[in-house]
Amino acid sequence: MAKTAPEDIVVTDFAVREHRSLWGDAWRRLISSNTARLGMFIVIVFISSATLSHYFWKYEPKKDLDYSLKLKAPSLRPTEEIDSIHIFGTDKLGRDIFRRVVHGGWNSLRVGIVAVSISLIAGGAIGLLAGFYETITMTTMERLLLFGLTGLLLGLLSAWIADQYFQLILFFGLGITSGYLPELFAGKIQRMSFFGAAGFLVAAIPSFFVGLNIALICGIWGLFVGVLLSQDLDGKFFSNVMMRIMDMILSFPGYLLAIAIVAFLGPGLGKGMIAIGIVGIPVYARLARSAVMGMINKEYILAAQSVGEGHGRILVRHIIPNILSPIIVQTTMGLANAILSAAALGFLGLGAIPPEPEWGAMLGDSYRYLTSGAWWAVLFPGLAIMLSVLGFNLLGDGLRDALDPKLRM
Amino acid sequence: MTRYIIRRIISVIPTLIGVTFVIFMFQRLIPGDPAIAMLGEHATEESIQRIREQFGLNRPLFLDREALEDGDIAGFFDSQYFRYMDRLFRLDLGESIHRRIPVLETLTLRFPATVELSLLSMFLAVIIGIPVGIVSASRRNSLLDSVSMVGSLVGVSMPIFWLGLMEIMLFAVILKWLPAGARLSTGIEIQSITNLFLVDSLITGNWVGFKDSLSHIIMPAIALATIPMAIIARMTRSSMLDVLQEDYIRTAKAKGLGAKLVLYRHALKNAALPVVTIIGLQAGTLLAGAVLTETIFSWPGIGRWVYDAILGRDYPIVQGGTLLIALIFVVVNFLVDIVYALLDPRIRYK
Repeated sequence: MAKTAPEDIVVTDFAVREHRSLWGDAWRRLISSNTARLGMFIVIVFISSATLSHYFWKYEPKKDLDYSLKLKAPSLRPTEEIDSIHIFGTDKLGRDIFRRVVHGGWNSLRVGIVAVSISLIAGGAIGLLAGFYETITMTTMERLLLFGLTGLLLGLLSAWIADQYFQLILFFGLGITSGYLPELFAGKIQRMSFFGAAGFLVAAIPSFFVGLNIALICGIWGLFVGVLLSQDLDGKFFSNVMMRIMDMILSFPGYLLAIAIVAFLGPGLGKGMIAIGIVGIPVYARLARSAVMGMINKEYILAAQSVGEGHGRILVRHIIPNILSPIIVQTTMGLANAILSAAALGFLGLGAIPPEPEWGAMLGDSYRYLTSGAWWAVLFPGLAIMLSVLGFNLLGDGLRDALDPKLRM
Repeated sequence: MTRYIIRRIISVIPTLIGVTFVIFMFQRLIPGDPAIAMLGEHATEESIQRIREQFGLNRPLFLDREALEDGDIAGFFDSQYFRYMDRLFRLDLGESIHRRIPVLETLTLRFPATVELSLLSMFLAVIIGIPVGIVSASRRNSLLDSVSMVGSLVGVSMPIFWLGLMEIMLFAVILKWLPAGARLSTGIEIQSITNLFLVDSLITGNWVGFKDSLSHIIMPAIALATIPMAIIARMTRSSMLDVLQEDYIRTAKAKGLGAKLVLYRHALKNAALPVVTIIGLQAGTLLAGAVLTETIFSWPGIGRWVYDAILGRDYPIVQGGTLLIALIFVVVNFLVDIVYALLDPRIRYK
């Protein structure tokens, strides 16, 4: 810490001290850290150069072609051979690499931002609800909705087999009934048999008009659904189902899943964003869920409940603001990861479609010329990826320290 | 402990079913007709129909409600998905559409290459990452700590394919010390026992083969190890720092135990939990990251093979390869949970 001279110290009266908010404090901590400042600087440079060049430095990738300048080494002043300056050299089509790196930033950063938004919104919502209902008892309305929707979703199979979509209403009704009357046939066995039988009939009777076999199969499925609906489904059930689905996505290694999704959607920048976004959903879901569960038993939540605040209000007013800091940190680091993944997809030829400048695709385009000595075509786009990713990582690290001093790494 | 293991095994089953389901969906939903991919664009309608018949592509995806309407209950379940599951249980992964070689056969040939590369990378990442983390934590805020932490942050930010390319440029093109690709130089032979070339050449005492395969594997292994190494170092450091603030560490120091003993016996053992988790998670990432590394270094493993197959619409390969990678991932995570429970008895009783 720097030494402070006595005359620099300002004595403030506590009663009139300027108001310091939580975020103001965090900001002060953030800018006092060298690494965070470096990160912020890098991020700002990349974002502004990408945006400014996109709007003010016209570049038409489809027309950029000059074979006479093919694979020229970086030059700082014009020579007899080449009268233009290419500080990063040129690539296999004679395109100026500096220009393409600067313009590539627009695509690469955009992929990162959109992909992270997808994972953040979907994953955050899933994790928030899962964590909330894991501990908080559902209200009657929410319970009914859960039962009804479970019945509706499972009923889809029976409805499809029999080609009678009005069955959905029956299954929805069955779910609501079970949720509304938890005391009906209170004995476990009686309840299971009652709702099992009801489920069987709900599916089998309408299906009977289509055919005997269909009635049989639908009936068996209806029986199963009925038995499930007779159980005491609650928030824990919902949370468990959601988290199992997240585990399933997580059980695919990231790149591979992204590659598979792009293979399914077809290559292109937009599809790459969606693929990377989907792969990232479970991370945010898990993070949000554990953050919610870590604070749901705090007194102020209890207080909010006891003064009769609704669940929606508690979520928005009390929970979301308090789990923001881990989410912000993860989002910043997630941006870094998304840029890396986007570059990897681009490198494999699954991201941006060729003449469009994108860092990963530029690498993929020119790495075959490495053995013939064209190092500049590989060095600079890669450096851009590394620096921008490093910038977001440094900023994320700094944010973590600033927002949650307890978590300091 | 046994009960815990059984409970974990049961909880893996839905995940496995989900994995097979997703892989099946991908394989069927990828645009482009596999029958046309097999026969080429100019195939006659008739032959396309025949191929579809032969591979069951004319069957419905999941359930055949028309068969049920005709009163055929067995036909109801005779769908692409159930046929696929049935083949899977018999370990029949089909054969490559383009090359007509059974997928399982190629898989057993190529899998050891990926395993060898991943194991060596993981080994490098662990033997470098953990000591760096420990030293950084024990000398917190020293120059060494700052350098290694900034270094690890750079490591995490490294696009591994770019790092691989830079390695090739430096060591293969400029310095000409190491070969730029493949697993072995032409002309050198290694008797195959495990198909892990390093192990095989050691067992048979084939020094030339060992040196040659080592010179081929070292660059891809370093490229692949960078990210896990950085992550392991950071995790070890933060986990050690947490543990070093605990009361029992102060007690141990107060008792007059040596600093080394406290660091390794008391702190490291308790700091190991999150590190083990991270190592487990990274194992899966390594296998997937192999797609990029294998592409750059022309490494004949499964990552590259699956990637080529996706581009060439060779569905049986995509299906077999992804299934294997996802399976390993699930199994590794399962093992991590077991190790976790072994290290920390509290987990078993949750």
